[in-house]
Amino acid sequence: MHTVNKYIRTTSIAALVLASAVGCKDFLSGGELSNDPNRPSAATNRQLFVGIQSNIFAEYTSELSRLSGLFTQQLFGAQSQYIPLYAYGIDENSTNGQHTALYSAGGLVDIRNLQAGATALGDFHMLGIAKIQEALLMSLGADYFGDLVYTEALQGGNPALTEQLAIYDALQVLLDEAITDLASTAVTNLGPGDGDILYGGDTDNWTALARSLKARIYLNTAEVRPAAYAQALAQARLGIQTADDDYTTVWSAGGGEENLFYQFTNVQRFGYAEPNPFFVSLIESRNDPRESVYLDANPNADTPFGSVDSPDYPQQILSADENTLIWAEAAYRGGDQVEALLQLNRYRAANGIAAGVEVGPALLREILTEKYIELFIHPQAFTDYRRTCFPNLTPVTAGQKIPGRLFYDTLERQTNPSIPAATAQPTRNDNDPANATDPFGNVCLGQ
Amino acid sequence: MRKVFRHFAGAFAISLLPAVVAAQTTVSGQVTTEAGTGLPSANVFIEGTNLGAQADEQGRYSFTVPAARANGQQVTLTARLLGYGARTALIVLTPGTVSQNFVLAVTALRLDEIVVTGAGTSTTREKLGNVINTVDSATVRRATEPQNVVNALAGKAPNVEVRSQGGDPGSSSSVKIRGAATILGTNQPLFVVDGQPIDNTTISTDQTATAFPGTGGIVSQNRAADLNPNDIESIDILKGSSAAAIYGARAANGVVLITTKRGRSGPTRYSFQSTSTFDDVIKTMPMQLKYGHGVNGQPFVCTGVGCSAGGGENAAWGAVIPAGTPTFDHGEDIFDTGMTLDNNLSISGGNDRTSFYLSGGLTAQEGTIVGPNNKYNRASLRLKGSHQLNNQVNVGGNFSYVDTRGKYVQKGSNTSGLLLGSLRTPPDFDNRLYLDPANGLHRSYRYPRPANGSETRARGYDNPFFILNSPGNRSELGRFIGNVNMDYNPLGWLAVKYTLGGDYYNDWRLEALPQSSSSFPTGRVVRMDINNLEIDHNLIATASRSWSDNFASTLTLGQNLNSRRLRMVNVLGTALNAPAPLTLQNTLSYQPFENRTLQHIESYFAQATTDIYDQLYLTLGIRNDGFSTFGASKRRHNFPKASAAWVFTNALGNTEQTGAFSYGKLRVAYGETGREPTVYGTVNAFAQTVVFGSGYGDLINTSQSGQGGLTTSLIKGNDNLKPERSRENEYGLDLGFLDQRVDLSLTHYNKRSTDVILTSPLSAAATGYIRQFANAAVVTNRGEEIVLNLRPLQSERLSWDIGVNYGRNRNNVVSLAGAEFVNFNNEGFTGAIGSATQGVGVGVVRGLDFARCGRGLVFDFDGDGVADDIDALCRLTPGGNGSFVNGALFIGADGLPVVDPTDRVIANPNPKYSMGFSSAVRFGKLTLSGSADVRRGLEVWNGTRGILLRFGTHEETLVRERTGTFGKDWATDKYPHVAGPGAGTVAFANAIDWQNWFDGEGGGFGNTGEQFTEDAGFVKLRELSLSYTLDQDWLRDRLNFSSIDIRVAGRNLKTWTKYKGLDPEANLGGAEWLTQGTDYFNNPQTRSFVLSFSLNR
Repeated sequence: MHTVNKYIRTTSIAALVLASAVGCKDFLSGGELSNDPNRPSAATNRQLFVGIQSNIFAEYTSELSRLSGLFTQQLFGAQSQYIPLYAYGIDENSTNGQHTALYSAGGLVDIRNLQAGATALGDFHMLGIAKIQEALLMSLGADYFGDLVYTEALQGGNPALTEQLAIYDALQVLLDEAITDLASTAVTNLGPGDGDILYGGDTDNWTALARSLKARIYLNTAEVRPAAYAQALAQARLGIQTADDDYTTVWSAGGGEENLFYQFTNVQRFGYAEPNPFFVSLIESRNDPRESVYLDANPNADTPFGSVDSPDYPQQILSADENTLIWAEAAYRGGDQVEALLQLNRYRAANGIAAGVEVGPALLREILTEKYIELFIHPQAFTDYRRTCFPNLTPVTAGQKIPGRLFYDTLERQTNPSIPAATAQPTRNDNDPANATDPFGNVCLGQ
Repeated sequence: MRKVFRHFAGAFAISLLPAVVAAQTTVSGQVTTEAGTGLPSANVFIEGTNLGAQADEQGRYSFTVPAARANGQQVTLTARLLGYGARTALIVLTPGTVSQNFVLAVTALRLDEIVVTGAGTSTTREKLGNVINTVDSATVRRATEPQNVVNALAGKAPNVEVRSQGGDPGSSSSVKIRGAATILGTNQPLFVVDGQPIDNTTISTDQTATAFPGTGGIVSQNRAADLNPNDIESIDILKGSSAAAIYGARAANGVVLITTKRGRSGPTRYSFQSTSTFDDVIKTMPMQLKYGHGVNGQPFVCTGVGCSAGGGENAAWGAVIPAGTPTFDHGEDIFDTGMTLDNNLSISGGNDRTSFYLSGGLTAQEGTIVGPNNKYNRASLRLKGSHQLNNQVNVGGNFSYVDTRGKYVQKGSNTSGLLLGSLRTPPDFDNRLYLDPANGLHRSYRYPRPANGSETRARGYDNPFFILNSPGNRSELGRFIGNVNMDYNPLGWLAVKYTLGGDYYNDWRLEALPQSSSSFPTGRVVRMDINNLEIDHNLIATASRSWSDNFASTLTLGQNLNSRRLRMVNVLGTALNAPAPLTLQNTLSYQPFENRTLQHIESYFAQATTDIYDQLYLTLGIRNDGFSTFGASKRRHNFPKASAAWVFTNALGNTEQTGAFSYGKLRVAYGETGREPTVYGTVNAFAQTVVFGSGYGDLINTSQSGQGGLTTSLIKGNDNLKPERSRENEYGLDLGFLDQRVDLSLTHYNKRSTDVILTSPLSAAATGYIRQFANAAVVTNRGEEIVLNLRPLQSERLSWDIGVNYGRNRNNVVSLAGAEFVNFNNEGFTGAIGSATQGVGVGVVRGLDFARCGRGLVFDFDGDGVADDIDALCRLTPGGNGSFVNGALFIGADGLPVVDPTDRVIANPNPKYSMGFSSAVRFGKLTLSGSADVRRGLEVWNGTRGILLRFGTHEETLVRERTGTFGKDWATDKYPHVAGPGAGTVAFANAIDWQNWFDGEGGGFGNTGEQFTEDAGFVKLRELSLSYTLDQDWLRDRLNFSSIDIRVAGRNLKTWTKYKGLDPEANLGGAEWLTQGTDYFNNPQTRSFVLSFSLNR
């Protein structure tokens, strides 16, 4: 008995010591311990394209479009945070992540990933499209923030800001490259295919979009470069010609795919934004057939907006209508009133508005007014206003100016010393000086 | 291992051999105080065996030793009771009766009490070189909200800060020990029950469904609340790193060790406890009942079907309500009296080899919100048993099952939130009629006459009665926690302990909003299933050796293996098809979110102790941790500790602890603990879950129209991640005076946490990522703790105890890898967001303030395009003397303050110090006790007040009846000094001026959060109770009960605070938030009347 006990003791202790010393060889790594089972480790070009597309949809049709509506008095800030925003109470937080999103997920980082992936496969169509996506995103960024980190972007360190005009110039070059890429006939050209839920990868559509975007960017620089009107005119002639080819968002009633303006007005922030009386009286005075698209005549309706806030309403990003009006304005500014009127009437015909015979300033006023109405809750409306001071808006807060740009995101300001403190940032961009008058010689009230 | 088990099987067989029949020994006697009072519940047992009994209400005990184990040997008999010095006696086990009485003296410092020190180790309190605070079972039962065990820790020990999310049944409580040491995630300590770590996570149901989880939705629950507090024998709080180092990289926020009750040999004991609690909200919001719905002094007329109150018309800035028109106090009408019933039955007992404890508990809580949808029920069962197989092997098991079910009401920042809708309603609207009498549709003050066909139209804000009657928010949880354990003492000097435990739960949740709810007018269903499993293996071997009478040492070696597996599925269904049922398949589209994680730990630890001359106690230890979450570049990390305790009064010869200076101990300790990185923080991957849109919640997915999209993750992985590390020095002095009638404990600690992980902000422009996990920040916590206990009266008939504790903690963020602050993007709002800010602390709220003098501000305040020097303008104050008071409010020419565009810290919710007071007076069998909490020097951002000013419903908005001037008769408590061009100018000449100010910058929707920061210091009378114990002989003779305890108590009876909101303690987010100081339509805590009795036999 005694020896048995001793034997038990010795072996048990030995076994316990062994158990404690050995442990499992791979107890701390491998499988679900080392690999995140929730996230993929690689992405295809098409998947990256779709992600970038979603980001572009959001950058164009979420908060920037609504701020544009507030500042250009298409919208009225009726509630909560939209009351001070409407009264130009902007700060670093008002940017609401829209600045950072130019670069992060679905932004420049993935555009560059896609460009590298497309180059690796010899897919010039995808490469060209990715360049157009870059121009769509960064031109909007330059419109709203002015100088941006661009030429030194994604290289680590403390990248310097690139001048707003230099960004526009670089994007023009990039778009030219894109047009060349899209003309490639290499057999390795796959393009985004069905991932391109709007154009289905059609190179003609993308080429026209690139032309229209070039026209828009030229127009945006015309305040300091009068020669840009002629360049805009040349590109608009080659740009998007019919509404079928519009570059729009594609929404559905499915969760996560709903029109962002619908989500804002009907789901998340009911009552924050209302149609601005200024805009309402303007559109009513003109018997514009789009009134029912923008506004709801029924005073008991859920929201005071028309079909523009239905879940699947496609929001314009760059449309044939905008292209036509760029064409008209550029022609007018270049002295060709006949061409300008022709394009204005072509635009009117496309929108069910009777043709007119305006000449001189009245013609320009009509072109600009139509563009202001056309670009309802579109970021370009605010960019046009800063360029033209049209419509000549009376600031809603007496004595205050309408903002000339947005502040950079706090996160970017904190992590990159090249970005100045909020108080040291310009209120307007150097390349976008305040107008003393509107295009018709009246004192500019809001700048 | 298999081999070992085979040998154990051999050992079982040996123990089953028949014993020689012989006469048994009965050991009996009485345990009394020095005053001669019987000491109930004292444990008397033979050292080194399972033989013993618990004393009855008169202190009498009796147990038998089987003849087989009584062979005339001499044994040590010990009597032990918490709070008294243990006494031992040598007895000889001869057949027949052995009588032994004990007289126990109060030990103030509980020096002989066994303290669990973690991972299977224990020691006596006298030998501790660091602070371990202990909470006993009676205190747990008396806690403010005993349903949640975390609340039992409130006010019981210095620098243990407990905060409850609110008074809703089931709401979570957070506990912060010695300040926040971490920045990412929460600062919750590790919870260990009977040697086995358990899950105490807090997960908000809407975490993947909304942009700002936790701000709205329903209250979140912390999982430690699943424990039945009645099963708890004691709780030991390991506060400092030297105490907690044995848990290595899981212990940076301290460890809470819970020991459950167990059976004792002797007659089977039955105990039935029943507690009824009647709850009321602590305070209701003061509302004005004079002005009705409308703006600009004009009534809002809305009589047509389908009329609605738009943006500007939704306030109570209307006309005076005509006499005779009924008014409604919306601060009160949604609340009624809640009730909690808590019933527990326990049966325990055993014999010389076997003991058991069996309990069942049923808690049913009805909250203070009107209606059937705020309740929390918990049913729990526990069986704990142990059996001595032979002299070497003892096996045990401890199994518990809990079923938790709750129903909740939408709260917080949420247009369907209860208080949000209720408190914004003008006083002339009756919310109780929440359905339109004509068509049965949801009506609210902003949509009082719902049109037919408006089933999916938002109501602006939900009618609170609609939302409190909505049954869509539920949780059902089943949880099993159990372990098997074995003690093996193969040699006299060697003890081996093994515990294998499992903690498994399945949490079913539903959070749904019906059609016409304002936040999701087409309806929404969120379903969440959380499935969590934690398995823990802990093996230790302790060798003990007495080298001489004056020199003894122990060495403990241990191994810990742990596996945690989380499986979570969260599906968001949008747009209901039919109005009911609230199920996923009744929604038109679904979005799933799945989260799976697996984490492993493989650790080894060693601890050596030495006792020298019964006065100097040294401990040295080290834990080597391997975690699967550590970066592959360095998988293992060491966490050392060392402590020394010197009882210098023993050295002075006062070993009896008598005289004016009866006891003195000096403590010095050092330790290191850690905190592991977030799971998969080392991995770089793509994401399919990034959403695009804005902070207003308008969001689209990466994938669109059936085309799959992927993007780079927003957060960059870091393969070099290592654990956060806290190094802490602790010094202390424990003193006893006047024959231990007075004891005083002083502690100072200094904790420096380095390598603190943060999602360090990255420049997206430079890197393409917005953040990266990095060991980058440094956080320090320094503080003092004082515990003073007085026992001025101690006699058989009368005793009086007084306890005071004081804790001060200074939390500071030393560095954030170069960043000035890190915002906790999910905690708060853009205007008042939680953060860690360098030089200030963790969990401080950031936002904007009005311009103040003395800040050197230069900016264009009047929008004329010219930058203004604010300080220079302050000096030009009309009638001023060319100077200004620093911090004076800058007033523009119109008499109004202007916004300073600089983002800054606007509220610091970390208290400067906290205190706890308790006192008990016993007169015979009657005991009167009370306790109070003090918290001072903290701020809370009162967003609720700002919003109610905007809506004109707060009582304060009656100010509209007069004029107002900053610095003179408006907000002078907040801004005693003003300066600037408009100082002294009347800012508000009439009601419309007031309305416009509150509508804009002066109200809750303005940009300036700081104006609503308030001093949230408080004194709360936590408890006042009167209890009586019946243990007369007739009780035993006629009713067969040994005793009956009856207790009447009031909790949270009175609060003294300057805070203007409902409750300075409630928080918008639950324990999942680091930021505990934001008030936005939170439900207040409750005050309660408690009636309790227990029947024992």
